[in-house]
Amino acid sequence: MKRLQDVEHHETEDLYYPTMCKVTGAKQITEMEKWYELEMPEGQSLGHGPGQFVEVSAFGIGEAPISISSSPSKNGKFELCIRQVGTLTNVLKNYETGDSMGIRGPFGKGFPMEKLFGKDILVVAGGIGLVPLRSLINYVLDNRQDFGRLIILYGAKTPSELLFTDELEAWKKRDDVELHVTVDQPDETWKGNTGVITTLIPSLDLNLNTTIAAITGPPVMYKFVVMSLKSKQLPDDQIYLSLERRMKCGVGKCGHCQINGVYCCQDGPVFNYVDIKPLEEAL
Amino acid sequence: MECFSLLRSDVPALIDHLGDFGEVLAPHGKGDVSYSFEAVQDSSDVVLDYNRTLLPLKKMFLPPVEKLMGFSLKNKSYEQVDVTIAPRVFFGVHSYEMQSILRLDHSMLSGSVESNYFKRRQSSRFVGISFEPDEFHFSESVGIVIEEMEGFDLFLNEIDGDFQLYVLTDNGQGMLNGFDKINLTEPEIVEERHFKKKIRYHFNRLPRVFQYAYHSEVWADVASRCVGCGACTLTCPTCFCFDVQDEVEVTAEDGMRQRSWDSCMLSTFAEVAGGENFREKTINRTRHRLFRKFKYITDEEGLPWCVGCGRCTAFCPAGISMPDIVNELIQEDEKAQYHRPVRV
Repeated sequence: MKRLQDVEHHETEDLYYPTMCKVTGAKQITEMEKWYELEMPEGQSLGHGPGQFVEVSAFGIGEAPISISSSPSKNGKFELCIRQVGTLTNVLKNYETGDSMGIRGPFGKGFPMEKLFGKDILVVAGGIGLVPLRSLINYVLDNRQDFGRLIILYGAKTPSELLFTDELEAWKKRDDVELHVTVDQPDETWKGNTGVITTLIPSLDLNLNTTIAAITGPPVMYKFVVMSLKSKQLPDDQIYLSLERRMKCGVGKCGHCQINGVYCCQDGPVFNYVDIKPLEEAL
Repeated sequence: MECFSLLRSDVPALIDHLGDFGEVLAPHGKGDVSYSFEAVQDSSDVVLDYNRTLLPLKKMFLPPVEKLMGFSLKNKSYEQVDVTIAPRVFFGVHSYEMQSILRLDHSMLSGSVESNYFKRRQSSRFVGISFEPDEFHFSESVGIVIEEMEGFDLFLNEIDGDFQLYVLTDNGQGMLNGFDKINLTEPEIVEERHFKKKIRYHFNRLPRVFQYAYHSEVWADVASRCVGCGACTLTCPTCFCFDVQDEVEVTAEDGMRQRSWDSCMLSTFAEVAGGENFREKTINRTRHRLFRKFKYITDEEGLPWCVGCGRCTAFCPAGISMPDIVNELIQEDEKAQYHRPVRV
């Protein structure tokens, strides 16, 4: 037990004050999602790892946990991509270049990069699950020689909901990226795969010894993706999942993000499957 | 450890004397049946015999509503809040209440150390008092006796109507400087005071009971009676979950960000934007509350995060009893043991 007398005054923190960051780029990239590029004051660096999140503030509305979408290898600035689903995110829709946005963080545990070096990386992204995974993908691409294969599975409901289409095009052209995109509901222009994301898994040729899977998507997706990967015989401890919860404070206090006894904002949002398998509230 | 005798009639004088050290806060009667920790105006108003205050002492360390910052909507900027707490003396605190503060210390000071909590905590001194358990207290079952003095600077133990005053810290010693209505005496062993309400097992057996309790039928029964009001968690001295909201003034120019007590028993507590709710049903929430008290933190820290104050039971509008739930789980576990495969 931590006791009062164990704490020195200098260890205390003002945990809830945001840092005002300058919006240096903003673009509505789909009907629902807007992309932002932000800059910390005085040349500071956010200092995040792939898979971490920040709390974004809009005064008068509140805060929400948002995944960081850019790779830490991008110097100086960082990027967010925010779906407009609630009051706060709809207010953020009006933020443009030159505005300042309150940011706290980075928070949580991202992907354990030291365990991913030298491995084949299998990214499984459903919908806006691509947002945090883009941080990982671009980190791998910026350090391409440190990793094996990069396989990206990406599923969206419709072609118009596909995010970062320019980057998808660029990834598709590279011969060191294996990109597979699918949509649930194709339109007349769609020439690619059709069906839910798990339909992309059976035909994959994976090297089971060296493959690490990184999964992010809507809550309903995880069980099915994990089942598919298990039927490919991928060991449990080579599966990482990033979970969504209501991370209100980001510092392990407020209780909203608890998954059984685990604080998602502290022990996650990225978890090894072995660690959450026993947690009934996880998947 | 020194021990003094103190007449009941001299307690108001002691409270007045403690006023030299800081603001004294003590239990006062509220309405006909309720008690509350309030700043002492007249020391003769302080209640020495009370069962429990409605709100726990956590309200003085984690205020029910607390301003985190002020902001300007026009300038998209904020102002910090300067929290300075003058020295305070909490007088007439029961042992379970003190133990709850020690548990809150862990929750607020481990990992990220909250500065406001730390300031409030550091400027506080505690004078404990013994009490007569009523039908709701069950502290003994969670390892806390009436005379548990950990965390206190001074402790008043009632013996035959008067008190023995224990000096437990240097601060406690300092607070008595110049107070002459006490006489050095030998500590008396008081006759064991018994709790009327009990959990049937010693608390160190509870994590094992809870290990098998996740799918118990008891939860459905509790959920069917629970009205989901959150009174149990709001009156719980070790519950610390909170929400953060922005309040805007009518001018729509300025406002403040504030945090307020929240409850995992409320239906939207684990809901995320887009509508997914990770503890959608009452049964998920009643179970979560009990696991928070007897399993999750307990597995790591070795202590129940329940201090047996009885508030959640005494103030539950549906009459749901925390120790009864635990006793039902124990009973169910005892039955199940005969059928459970032996693990080797």
